Amino acid sequence: MLKLVIKKEFLTALRDVRLQISGSILIILMLTAVLVGRQGQQQIAEQRKEAQEAMYDKWVNQGNKHPHSAAHYGQFAFKPKPVLSFLDVGLDNYTGISVFLEAHKQNEILFSAAQDSNGMSRFGELTAALILQVLLPLLIIFLTFNIFSKEREEGTLKLLHAQGLSMRQLFMGKVWGTYFMVLLIFIPIIILAYFLLDDQSAALDPGVTVKFVGLASGYAIYFLVFVLLCTLISAFARNSGFSLLSLLGLWILSCIILPKATANLADKVYPTPSQFEFRKTIKSLVKNGIDGHNPSDVRLASLKQEVLDEYNVETIEELPVNWSGIAMQAGEEYTDQVYDQEFSRVETIFKDQNRLSEWVGFINPYLAVRHLSMALAGTDFHHHVAFARAAENYRRGFVKRMNKDMETNHKPGISYGDYKVGEEMWSSIDPFSYALPSFGAIMSSQWRSVGALTFWLVGLFGISMIYAPKISRL
Amino acid sequence: MKTIFHILPFEWKSLWRSNLLKVLLVVILGAGIYGIYFGKFEIDKQEYRIAEVQQYERQQFDSLLIWSQLDTSIAENKSKYEFAMSPVGVGWTKHFTYYLTNETPELAGLCLGQRDLYPVYYGFNVTDLARQVNTAELANPMKLLTGNFDLSYVIVFLFPLLIVALFYNLYAREKEGGTLSLLQSQPVGLGTILLSKGLLRLKVVLVLATVLLLLGFLLQGISLSQNLGLFFEWLLVIYAYCMIWTGLMAMIIWMRRSAALSAMLGLGVWLIFTLITPALINLGVQSSEPLPNKADVIHAVRALNDKNWESPKSFVMDKFHAAYPKYDDGDTVNFQKWYYASSSMIDREANKLKAEMEAQIAERNSLLTKWEWLAPAAMVHERLSRMSETDRQSHLEFVEKVNIYHRDLKDIYYERIFAQAQFDFDDLKQLESLL
Repeated sequence: MLKLVIKKEFLTALRDVRLQISGSILIILMLTAVLVGRQGQQQIAEQRKEAQEAMYDKWVNQGNKHPHSAAHYGQFAFKPKPVLSFLDVGLDNYTGISVFLEAHKQNEILFSAAQDSNGMSRFGELTAALILQVLLPLLIIFLTFNIFSKEREEGTLKLLHAQGLSMRQLFMGKVWGTYFMVLLIFIPIIILAYFLLDDQSAALDPGVTVKFVGLASGYAIYFLVFVLLCTLISAFARNSGFSLLSLLGLWILSCIILPKATANLADKVYPTPSQFEFRKTIKSLVKNGIDGHNPSDVRLASLKQEVLDEYNVETIEELPVNWSGIAMQAGEEYTDQVYDQEFSRVETIFKDQNRLSEWVGFINPYLAVRHLSMALAGTDFHHHVAFARAAENYRRGFVKRMNKDMETNHKPGISYGDYKVGEEMWSSIDPFSYALPSFGAIMSSQWRSVGALTFWLVGLFGISMIYAPKISRL
Repeated sequence: MKTIFHILPFEWKSLWRSNLLKVLLVVILGAGIYGIYFGKFEIDKQEYRIAEVQQYERQQFDSLLIWSQLDTSIAENKSKYEFAMSPVGVGWTKHFTYYLTNETPELAGLCLGQRDLYPVYYGFNVTDLARQVNTAELANPMKLLTGNFDLSYVIVFLFPLLIVALFYNLYAREKEGGTLSLLQSQPVGLGTILLSKGLLRLKVVLVLATVLLLLGFLLQGISLSQNLGLFFEWLLVIYAYCMIWTGLMAMIIWMRRSAALSAMLGLGVWLIFTLITPALINLGVQSSEPLPNKADVIHAVRALNDKNWESPKSFVMDKFHAAYPKYDDGDTVNFQKWYYASSSMIDREANKLKAEMEAQIAERNSLLTKWEWLAPAAMVHERLSRMSETDRQSHLEFVEKVNIYHRDLKDIYYERIFAQAQFDFDDLKQLESLL
């Protein structure tokens, strides 16, 4: 009996001209988004890879110079374009794409695509995510808004009841029938998207398949949540008109208005500090010491004494090692420590802001799937921070190498201009590489979104089971 | 015409008595007022950032002025006095950080536009600008992506929905309510009746828009009398936008479909013109026109800097003297002069590259503008941000102001540096007047 209902719902939906039209539009949009998006993603990925290689080449071929001059010459880190970003571009247009790495200072990751585009870019890019998160739910609304009221108006509900079909069975039949219809659109395209991935993608991100499956499952659950929600509302709505109006109202609220309001509220609850304060704090902490009682000149003097004691000499000139190299590395490490502390503080504020909107996922499933999708596509804030940290660690690595070389090999008495190293030294620094966070790491940061989706799924099933028998037959 | 005026009051009564209108009014007014409040919140945040650096700049300069008055016969004052009076500092002491702030335009709070993507100030001294403007304001990218809930958002996104909700059942309601045949039996034509119903709804929309705009001025404390021109420009754009949507709805009503279908069609058109077309245009441009790699500017700067340091001083000085004959005193060995000449040459190189990249970006953006007519929502939003001076163009104008300010400051410093002279108190006063 249940199978019959599912089949009936599925076939009615399939044969409805209006749904045929809107379904085809959706499929065409999806195809465009996936195919064009993949092509664009490959192009950008290639561009950044080339830029990264070209800049490393410049580093290796910078000629002979003092290692500290080389540390000032610096290197670049380009953010690799994540493989799955063609499905969900996420924050990618709003975060910087490259950072200049040099001695003594932590530069910002600069040049976001949004800064170089006019206002149109604020309207978003057509990606699979936009279609699946925002447009497909609308199709579900059109499929379900009169799913009960139509039968009620035609008097077929009573007939079905006479056939011995329980309301619970009928409800679930309608849910599954609609859901299969949605999957009919979703699954072929998502499979197509999977086949757009190639060997290179797997090389860039070994976890790409698992992430892809996670992404697809996340969406599959989201659609089921939406089908259940819409079917429930339409089952208890007075008539088709009221049902349509309330479903559309709900959609506008959850997909258009609430996300903006949530992000704005988060900024109010956890205020963003200014760049000026951030830099000023770092400067003053470096100068006066993290605890405020250990100013830089005192630190330097005690370091000097330590080094002199270690080598058992009286003056810097007598040291067998280069004092400037030691002092610079110590300064570098102290600044790093301060920077880490302040950077974490800002990072925590942003994560708190985002967490608020992840919690709102329990009220608005759209936000839950949005966060999960961005995270699995590699385009969320966690990924941006992971890149920032990788780039900064790389900077510390090569700057330290330069300082160490200066400390041991630039013997006292030789002038700065007379000590030079060359290509052998530069190429001993490996090119910058950054591995995308693993599936496990992503899921551990996204448990709220997963929890919210599960909460919705289980909750709505529970409500359906309890309230389905109470659906009016008249 | 007379019949239309006759129908209007009755139609108003029936419209007012329907709960839909009241709900819509509450929602739109609520959203609008929230948008106005939020816009103000954002602007206050930017203003705070501006005030912060201005205050810091003032403090710094005040100490310079105090130091310039110190009694140098006391040994410990000497270095401070010399610092205040010295136009050179060779990179590391750098004399003083000047800040140029991008003052908040009057109407920025109503349409925040692209302003949140850029720093609202730059801090620099008279050495090369190229290595001092690579800064970004701290911002949560999630918030930048989600965008701002300001009044322009309410107008661009929610007003079309209001129009769809008010118009979709203009005809279908009569038909489905069974009153159509009654209307058709009247001496007045059905067209006239529908027209007057439509006009009334349009009036409601336009009045609501005007009220919200007025509220925006009032609640954000923007002077109406001083910005009367802008007020009417905004109103004109909003009215035109609402008319476009009314026209689209008129086409849907004219098809005489059921209420449900008309509503779906209206929503479909809204989806197409506010969500889908802009997203499609962005996708197309994003995927076909790659942006220039701006890291190349940073590379060019460091490469030139390297070369300048490695080459004999005349390498820089010869080029510098050719470019700035007024500083050509034949001296190609002085370190201070060389250092600042090198800065100038770095800026020249960077500016040349930046201009090339900007031309490429402008061409790419002109592609977005070319297809803008397909996305009226984006088009109107761009107009509103242009008028409010919060678009990308306004930021570029600010950057140009930074360049000019930097050049003016350089003139004062370079004159002293190349004459190997110190500042006097009047010089400091002149610099103060430029703050």
